[in-house]
This record gives sequence, C-alpha cells and structure tokens, in this order.
Amino acid sequence: MAIATSADELLPAESEMRAFRVLRWRIVRSIARQVMTEARFRAALIFALSALLWLGLFLLFVDGLRFLGSVNLSPDLYLQTVSAIISMFFAALLVMLFFSSGIILYSSLFRSRETLFLLTFPARVERVFVHKFHDAVLFSSWGFILLGSPVLAAYGVTAGAPWYYYALTLPFILAFIYVPAAWGAACCLLIMDRFPGSRRKLLAAGAAAAIVVAAWSIWSTFARTAHDFLTVGWFQEMLGRLQISQGKVLPSWWLTAGLLAAAEDLWAESVKFLFLLVANALFFRQIAVGIAEASLRRALSAMSSAPEAHRIVRSARQWQVLERLLAGLPLPVRLFLIKDLRIFCRDPLQWSQFLIFFGLLGLYFLNIRRFSYNMQYAAWVNMLSFLNLTVVGLLMSTFTTRFVYPMISIEGQRFWLLGLLPIRRDMILWSKFTFAALGTLPPSCLLVFLSDVMLDVDTMVLVGHQITCLLLCVGLAGIAVGLGARLPNLREESPSRIAAGFGGTLNLVVSTLYIVAIVVLTAVPAHCYLSGDFPMLLQFLSDRSTAQWWLRAMFFAGMLISVVLAAIATILPMAIGLRAFRRLDF
Amino acid sequence: MIEFCNVTRRYGSKVAVRGLNLLVQPGEVFALLGRNGAGKTTSIKMLVGLLRPDEGAIRVCGHDVVKHVRNAVGCLGYVPDAVFLYEKLTGREFLEFAASMRGLSREESEQRILRESQRFQLTDFLDTLTETYSHGMKQRLVFASALLHDPRVLVIDEPMVGLDPPSVRMVKDLLRELAASGVAVFLSTHILDIAEQIADRIGIVDRGELRYLGTLAELQAELSLPHSTLEQMFLELTESNGRPPRIEEWRIRGADWPSEHKSEETH
Repeated sequence: MAIATSADELLPAESEMRAFRVLRWRIVRSIARQVMTEARFRAALIFALSALLWLGLFLLFVDGLRFLGSVNLSPDLYLQTVSAIISMFFAALLVMLFFSSGIILYSSLFRSRETLFLLTFPARVERVFVHKFHDAVLFSSWGFILLGSPVLAAYGVTAGAPWYYYALTLPFILAFIYVPAAWGAACCLLIMDRFPGSRRKLLAAGAAAAIVVAAWSIWSTFARTAHDFLTVGWFQEMLGRLQISQGKVLPSWWLTAGLLAAAEDLWAESVKFLFLLVANALFFRQIAVGIAEASLRRALSAMSSAPEAHRIVRSARQWQVLERLLAGLPLPVRLFLIKDLRIFCRDPLQWSQFLIFFGLLGLYFLNIRRFSYNMQYAAWVNMLSFLNLTVVGLLMSTFTTRFVYPMISIEGQRFWLLGLLPIRRDMILWSKFTFAALGTLPPSCLLVFLSDVMLDVDTMVLVGHQITCLLLCVGLAGIAVGLGARLPNLREESPSRIAAGFGGTLNLVVSTLYIVAIVVLTAVPAHCYLSGDFPMLLQFLSDRSTAQWWLRAMFFAGMLISVVLAAIATILPMAIGLRAFRRLDF
Repeated sequence: MIEFCNVTRRYGSKVAVRGLNLLVQPGEVFALLGRNGAGKTTSIKMLVGLLRPDEGAIRVCGHDVVKHVRNAVGCLGYVPDAVFLYEKLTGREFLEFAASMRGLSREESEQRILRESQRFQLTDFLDTLTETYSHGMKQRLVFASALLHDPRVLVIDEPMVGLDPPSVRMVKDLLRELAASGVAVFLSTHILDIAEQIADRIGIVDRGELRYLGTLAELQAELSLPHSTLEQMFLELTESNGRPPRIEEWRIRGADWPSEHKSEETH
C-alpha cells in the first residue's frame, strides 16, 4: 500500500536550499571563530604569505609587461602579444581547473561520508550535488584566483585601465571558473555512472593525454625560431605559435577579450563577453546538475559494486636486496625504511605525483638545447643551470612537505602499536629522516646532473651543484621531519590535509627560504666568477686576476657556509623534533 | 512497513545478499544477525537507499526505495554504524540541520530538539562543537537526530557501539517503547544478547543468505535445543564448516509477499 505523500511535501525546495545555506554559513562562522581565537598566528602567517606571493607575482607581471612595452613594437602587435600571453595563461588554467575540479569532486562526492549522510535525508540529489560542487569549485580555484588576479591587476595598471576594469575582474573570474569546473563535474559523474570500474584507468589515460598535449604545445611553442630573440619577426613567429590559445570558442579567450576590452574603455564589448561567460557557466552548470540528478545515486551504488583490484603482493626480491644494501643501518631504522618505501611504492597517488613532476623536469632538461636560449653566453648558461637547480630544490621541498612532513602525524596515530615496540622513539624519527634524505637524493642529483650536462657547464659548477643537491636533500629532510615531529596533527587522517595545515605551510616556507639561501650562497659567486662580470669588485681591487682569486675564494667560502647552514638546518629542527617527540603523549 | 522482495545484491562476482525475502511489521523489533561480511550492512544500505538492489525490490512504508527514494527515506530514521557529524557545528546546530532537512517548522524543531536532547541526556553539551564529543556522545546525538521527525521506521546498524552501560540500557528501553508505539525497528548487530533481549524476531544471515527467520522460541524448537542461548544456536547455524546444517530446510516465516513476487520466492 503506497502512501500518497508527495516528495516535495516532505521538504520544499526553498526550505532545502535554506537549510544548506544555513549549514554552510554556520560551518564558515565556526571555523572563522576558531581561527580568530586559537590560530591567529597561523591565519596571519598564511594571509601574509599569500599577500606576499600575490604582490610578488603582481610586480613580476608589471615588470614583464613594462619590459614588453619597452621593446620596439607597434601598438597593435603589443596588444596582440599581451592578448596571446594572457589567453595562453588562462587556457592552461582552464585545463588544470577541469582536471582538478573533476578529481576534487570525485573525492568529495564519491569518497565522502557526508554525501552518504545527506542522501539518507529526503533531500534532492541535485541539491546535494550543488553543495559538494561548490566545495570542489572553491578548493580547486583558490590557487587560480591567487595566480590569475595579479596578472589581470598588473595588466590593468600598465594599461591605465578605467575603474570598471577592476570591478569586472571578479565576475569575469568567477564566471570563467564555473565553466571548466562544470565540465570536470559532468565528466566525473559520467565516468562514475558509466565506467565505475575503470575510473582510475580513465583518469590516468586523461592525465597522460593532457601531459602529451601540454608537452607537445610547449615543445612546438618554444622551439628555435627563425628570427633573433625579441625582434618584431620573433614576436610575430611566437604569436603564430600561440594561436591555439586564441580559439574563439575557448572561455579563456572570452575572459581575455572581455577584460582587454574593458582596459581599452570599451565597456559594451566587455559586458558582452561577460554575459557570454555567465551564460555558458550557467548552461554547463545546469547540464552537470541534470546529469547528477539522473545518475548520482545510481553511480554511488554502482561504485561499490565495481570489483576492487585485490593486489596480491608477494615478497619481492627487490626488498630482500634492499635489506642487504641497508645492512649497515640499525635494525629499527632499516625496518621502518623498508616499511615506508613499501607504502610509498604501493600507493599510486604518491609515486605517480613524484614521477610526473620529476619526469616532466627530466623531459625539459633533456630538451633544453632545443629551446631558444642563447647558449653561447657563459653567464646565461650559468644562470640557467642555477635556476634549474633551484627548481629541483623547490620540487623536493614540495615532496618533503606533501609526503614526509605528514609521516610523523600518521605514525603518531598508530602509536599504540609503535609505542609498544622495544625501540627508542628517536629511531622512528631517524628512520623518517633517512627515508626522506635517501629518497630525494638520487632523483635530484640525477636531474641536476642532466641539466648541467645538457647546458655544458663548467666542471667546477657541476661538482658544486652535486654538493648543493646533497646539502638540499639533507637539510630539507631535517626540516620536514623535525617540524613534523614538533607540530604533529594527530586528529587528521588525510596526509594532504596535514600538509595543507599550519605546520605544512610553515615547512614549505622554511624549506623555500633554506633553498634560496643555499642557492644564493653558491650561485652568486660562481655566476660572477664564470661570467667575468664583477665591476663592483674591480672598484676595490687593483687588477682582474686578484678579483678572480677573490671570487674563487668567495665561491668556496659560499660552499663552506652552505655546508654550515645545511648542518644547522638539519640538526636544529631534528633536535627540536626529537625533544618534542620524546615528550609526546598519545 | 519494511519489505524485501527477493533482493539480490552483488559486489563484482561476489554475492553479498542473495534472494532476501523479509517483511517487518509496524510495532516489531527485528534483529538481523550474522558474522562479518554476511550481508547485514549491505541489506541496511539498500534499505536506506544508499545502495540499489541488482534484483528484487525494497519498500519502506509502501514506497519503493529506488523509484521513490525521497518518500521512502522520508519516513525512516537511520543510525549508521560509523556516525557522521559536522565537526564545526554544535550538537544543537546539527539537530537543527537534521530537523530542517526533515521539513520540520522552527517551533516543531525546537520542541523535538528539547525532547530528544532530554531523552538522550545531551543538554549539557548541546551547545559545544561536536568535534569535542566522545564516541558515545556522538552516537547519542545521531540517535536523537534519527528520531526528531518521529519516523515510522527506525533502521540501526550496530546500535550499541560506543555506548556506556546506562546508555545501552536506555537505548534498549527506547527501542521497545518505539515498537510499542507502532514504529518498525530494524537493527543489525553482532551482540547477540541485545537481539535476545529486545527483538521480537530475528533473522540470521550467512554468506548473503537468510538462514533463519523467526522468534527465538521457534529457533530453539527447530534446533531441538530448548534451553540453549541465542549464541549457541547462532554458532550452530553459521559454523557448520562444511557439515550439513542441523536444519535441512530453513523455514522462513512472517513474509506476506505481494503477488508479483510470490512466483520468485526461493525459500
């Protein structure tokens, strides 16, 4: 006997919308209150660092645009160049937003207990989807806003744009974000509904295709040009290559065209593009909502039916070989090291990120001669080699922040087990340190060696770079493990959330400062020595050979100070971490 | 009130629930028992609309949980085994959200929250963030939210997890009270004592199949173990280890199937 109760009578749409709005508002208010009372320093630090990053990017783009203006280009060519650069920038962000919002939505919609909780209410499935979709848009786009807004602000300043250019920037960005986010959401829903068992393979295939297309675009864009660097011919040739980002059907082009029109005081043209973006944003959002309405419950149910790949893991020979190779280390360190390596190798999320970043850098270094760098100038080559070293260092710091820093917190949650083992607590930290240092050393040394060989740098620089790599790996490992033990988050189970917290942010900042300090200490004297560019020194010294001797001495002194700095960066955080870890109650 | 009509659910090649036929009447406390992986939670997730059956149909208050899921879940309250709470909401805010999702007016919501918070002794910590709650407090809060709208069906997966002895006693009494007022209570549990004490009927599932359905007394009679406990009988039924089970033909009673499913009955 069916009971004639309309579903809409159970919960009217307006009440449902209000309930979700109140829920979100209360959560935001609660977090804000907590931050203001318990984590003011953290909030201030994050805000200050974000502001610093924003300002740095803004100044960089202002400087870049002014430099472009100083090159002898016609106004038309200048405008075309700026339009091409901004279009390319936002086209790249469009692709990234598509993937990131799809992946984040998958995680927040299909792997979240909140979704299951909400679906046990008589809520409309589309409302649940919109609630989670907005979460995904927010998480995937904050970085975009941080990166995109300084570009647009810089253009406004250099172009002397009217006030409404700045007023229109936010609606343009919001409407733009919605389009790739809705595409990503729709694809995510369709994949989960139609191919729930093959979702990982499809994602991997999509990511691989995107990487291939991106690599091909970069390859063809930055290949050697027929014209000299920064000449009119060079600009025209480059503009032809960037044509792909200027497609009239791309939302990134609508954004660029609309804002450039606003900067030129063509408000009607600008508003037309804004309406175009808004209309498309709403259209694609509605399509995603429609797909969700039809498929979300079915997809959630189908996902649990998809057979999980039960991987049978045999005791592989490589672990036995590794155990023998590490025979010199204390047994607990060895055991922890092998356990962490096993977890790392069996978690595709961890090794795939590592592989993608290092692989992309490796590809770039291998093809470095193909790009139109002026390889005959020693100063240019030397600068490039140090920049590459810095990039490798920064990559390692993201690795230690994302994977090493949260390790202590994760181990802390299992301390009921570790605490009962007959080992000293210090051993746990030293094993993490060894894992981080040994794990980052071979790939980073290899990458830097590859870059140096391709750039054909001086042997002294090559050796110096390898030593610098060693210092960076050891120091970054010490910072990540020490801070991870000093600021553990024992309540959070997700390593990415632990890394995104205060401790993770602090770790990233300290690591970046450390990398900059080490590279500056070794790079500046070497750069001056090899380029023969030392006018300031010549003011004080009588002849060139004495100045060269001093520069050589400064290079070695820089190396020596780097070693001392690395020792401090390793020992100090480790000592703080060890002390905190010994006192930690679980 | 709750009808499982020849329900089958698979996970890949594994059959989690096979041809389940079951009818739970208003005013009845029904306990579904089984070992880990027997199919209890799958049955409950299908009942509350989170999973869809591959075959068969499930109805709650006459509403098909696939075709009219909002109507079906609208008349039930659900307490899952792993509770979910918004950590940045207070207990009161969480209950207010649950009440508004159930379509209660502000006045009704206030009255019901007061009633349930008193019933589950939540008043002392109702205005603190749920992230500070112990497991037992969280469980009580979820019980309260499941009962705010006076559901006609209450579904509970492992009801006593994390509760202290007084709360266990209180929940047992509450379930009997609810049944007395006409609510159909469907619970799954590992704790056989609870089923023994409060269930009107029990169902024993093993490897996805309902092995027994009936009252405790009937089971004792069928197994010819008049003074044995439910635990002894449960082990007897589920740990045959390849031996032929004591009861060759499992008798499943209590189901009054709709005519379209009668021909598909397997038991």
